[in-house]
This record gives sequence, structure tokens and C-alpha cells, in this order.
Amino acid sequence: MATSLARISRRCVTPSLSSNLIRRYFAAEAVAVATTEAPKPKSEVTPSPDRAKWDYRGQRQIIPLGQWLPKVAVDAYVAPNVVLAGQVTVWDGSSVWNGAVLRGDLNKITLGFCSNVQERCVVHAAWSSPTGLPAETLIDRYVTVGAYSLLRSCTIEPECIIGQHSILMEGSLVETRSILEAGSVVPPGRRIPSGELWGGNPARFIRALTNEETLEIPKLAVAINHLSGDYFSEFLPYSTVYLEVEKFKKSLGIAV
Amino acid sequence: MGTLGRAIYTVGNWIRGSGQALDRVGSLLQGSYRLEEHLSRHRTLMSVFDKSPLVDKDVFVAPGASVIGDVQIGKGSSIWYGCVLRGDVNNISVGSGTNIQDNSLVHVAKTNLGGKELPTTIGDNVTIGHSAVIHGCTVEDEAFVGMGATLLDGVVVEKHAMVAAGSLVRENTRIPSGEVWGGNPAKFMRKLTDEEIAYISKSAENYINLAHIHAAENSKSFEEIEVERALRKKYARKDEDYDSMLGIVRETPAELILPDNVLPEKTTTRVPTTHY
Repeated sequence: MATSLARISRRCVTPSLSSNLIRRYFAAEAVAVATTEAPKPKSEVTPSPDRAKWDYRGQRQIIPLGQWLPKVAVDAYVAPNVVLAGQVTVWDGSSVWNGAVLRGDLNKITLGFCSNVQERCVVHAAWSSPTGLPAETLIDRYVTVGAYSLLRSCTIEPECIIGQHSILMEGSLVETRSILEAGSVVPPGRRIPSGELWGGNPARFIRALTNEETLEIPKLAVAINHLSGDYFSEFLPYSTVYLEVEKFKKSLGIAV
Repeated sequence: MGTLGRAIYTVGNWIRGSGQALDRVGSLLQGSYRLEEHLSRHRTLMSVFDKSPLVDKDVFVAPGASVIGDVQIGKGSSIWYGCVLRGDVNNISVGSGTNIQDNSLVHVAKTNLGGKELPTTIGDNVTIGHSAVIHGCTVEDEAFVGMGATLLDGVVVEKHAMVAAGSLVRENTRIPSGEVWGGNPAKFMRKLTDEEIAYISKSAENYINLAHIHAAENSKSFEEIEVERALRKKYARKDEDYDSMLGIVRETPAELILPDNVLPEKTTTRVPTTHY
């Protein structure tokens, strides 16, 4: 009943004489607006007629570049929003949360055991590092990288916590069992010593961590690992989008 | 042999049919908590009523990015993964050879403390770092906006200027040519050396090449992706590091080789970065 109503209403909306006039009126108005208000581009912009404005496939999660294929461990949770491109390895038990972009196109990115890269992070690797060491981004085991962080060619040793919205620039090294406060900006090549709490822009020493706090660090990573297990079980191994595609094809009369 | 092939094909069809039936049984068991997947309705280039984006054919726009409204993007530019360029209230014009890196936001506000609605103009060969927020600003040619920077309304970044990573540039600040500004609120830090100014244009050029590769990869059709997958499986080798310890160098097939200028070993110039 509802579908037939929808089909009838859709047929009414398809081009008829009156709607053609309406469309032509809007087009004329749009041209008038364009010529009077929009500033001319410095160079001529030649759009391509077959640029797809909308792809039903959406953004691919794993983007291989050349012979590099991002590798995701079988029990690692990678959200469907995430983009893994190039040389990215996501090891066991780790998780990459929604909206993160791990772009290993220039250099390698490794996410160690039971680590997590939270929402909307951008992990990238530069061509070369100012320290002269290999410019790959290495996130070792039990590291928690907070939401909205930006990591570029940095090395994070085991059992660290990187606060939310922090920025780690090229060549920086965060040694084991240290915590970076939220919003901290670590300049290029800076080393955060082991067992300390740093924060601020640029990152400065705040205090040393107590033993209890140090023991909590891997516990946080494991807790997020458990949480990612819940998310992981929400997804089927393969998508069932083909069911919707078949429904569309049937409604359009295309042979399934 | 034709009939045997036919028989195997039919058996395969039966197994797939039973699989689909099992899927329906499982969905029934799940009831209201059942997961229903839908096709992506994400629109990469989206028009708001009569304002539609004008994007040159040479531009790489990541499929997950959103270019909405009155946005003009010149040739050779790249809009990376997760960016949002919202030209709904006013227009955004991005020059040629500019790269707007991952998860950035370029926008204009409808209401402004000063009362003005400013268009956003980004010049040629500009590098805008990851997760930057550009709100009603003018960024002139060959400028560099560091990653995580937030540029508020009315900011003007002049030619060859650099905004350091993580900085917050307050409203109507003018960042003069050849200087590095940073911090929260952004203050003058130091002057750029000539080497660094040359690096900015070199980096923009490198990004243009990188964008071509990503554009080619993202626009592949399903068949092409499957073919490459099969190729990769066929030529799968031990890890490069393992091989290099033994002194072995293996060949990769031509389709899987990236152009020269992207591989890090090929760059000979030392890359300078800002020092704090």
C-alpha cells in the first residue's frame, strides 16, 4: 500500500510541463546569481563531466597503494568509517575507532598489540624525520591514543597514554609508561622521558607518575580492547548490503 | 566435462541459496536487534539548492570527504580523506595545487561577532595540514597551515607564512609574509628561513603527485580491485625487511609499482622542519 503510494507520487513528480517551466526559472535565477555575486576564479576551472558526485560504495576502508596492502589482524576492530591507506599494520587486539585516518602512503604505520587509536585521529608518516631516524610511525603495545590526536612520524613506546586532541610532530619519541595530557603539542624531535606526565603547547614537564598510575596504563588499553570486542561482534564478517541492492533492482525491474 | 562443470556450478548455487536462507533464519532470531546494512548515502559533492561545487577534473577528492555548496577547486588540488568543505552560506574558493589534508574543515559562519560574512579564499600551492579548522579566512599562495591549527574568522595568512601546528589564530589576525606564528592565541614565533620557504612549495608539489596515486586508487571499479587483489596474492612475498637481511631483492609486477617520486628513498633533499 505504502510502496504503491510512493510509486504513484514519484511518477507525479517526474518531468511534466509545469515542472519544466519551474526548472527553467530556477536555472535562469541561478545564472543571474552566479554572474553577479560569485568571484571569478583566478585560473579557469574545467570540471569533468563524469566526476561521480555520489558513489553508492562509499569510502573504501582499506586502500592498497601499489604493492602495499594495509594488514588488519583478525581480532582487531577497525570501524567502518576508518581509512587505512598504504603501509598500515594493525596488530592483534588493537582497535581503530570511528573517523580515524591512518595514511601510510609515504612511510610505514604500525599499531601494536592491544593499542587503540580513538575517534577522528589522523596518523600519518612523513617522508623523512628531522632526527634522521626512519620516519615510520610506530605505536607500540598497550598504547592509548586519545580522540582527535594527530600523529606524524612519531614513535610511541609500550604502555603510554596520549591525551585527546594532542599533536605529536615528526620524530617525537614518547618513552614507555608516560602520559601526555589532553591538548598537548609535542614539537618535532622531542623526547618525553619514561614515567612522566607532560602537557601543554609546547609540551612541558608537569610531574612524575606514581607507581599506581603507571600500573593503570595497560589496564586502560585492555579495557578499551574489551569494549572494541563488543563493537567487533556487532559486525558480520561480510556485509549484507547485497540484500538492499537486490531489493532496489527488483523495484526498478532490473533482472537480479 | 561441460556437464560436470554445470553440475558443480549448480551445487554451488544451492549452497549459496542455503546460506542466504540461513541468513534469513538468523535475522529472524535476532528480531528487532537485527543489523540491517544500507548502501552509502554519503554524497561527496553535494549541492545546497542552487549552490553546487565546481571542481576541476584534475582534483583528487577523497570519496569520504564532503564538498558542499558553493566551492570552487582549481586544478591539481587535493581534498583528502574525511575533509568537509562547507560552502553553504558563502563561497569557498581553493586555488590550484593546494592540498587540504585529512579531516580538515573549511567553513564560513552565518553570524559573526564583527557582523561580516566572509568568503574563504585559499590560494595556489597552499598546504593545509591534517585536522585544521579554517573558518572564514584568506590564505594566500604558498602558505603553510600546520596540522591541528584553528584559524578563526577574518584571519589573513600572507604568502610564504606558516601557522605552526596546534595553534589557535584569533579573529582578524594578519600573519605577515615569511613568519611563523603559533601557540594559543597565536603569536609571532620566528622568521622562516629561505630553505623552509622553498620546502613549502616542494611539499605542495609532492602532494600533487601523491594525490594522483590516491585518485587512481579510489576511482577503481570493482573488477579492477579484484584483479589487483589476485595479483597481490599471486606475488605475495615475505616481508621486505626479512628479505633485505638476507640480501634478497624481489621483483614486483609492473601494475603494483608506484611512481618514483613517491617512494621515500628517492627524495634527496633534506627536509627541514620548524624548530621550537
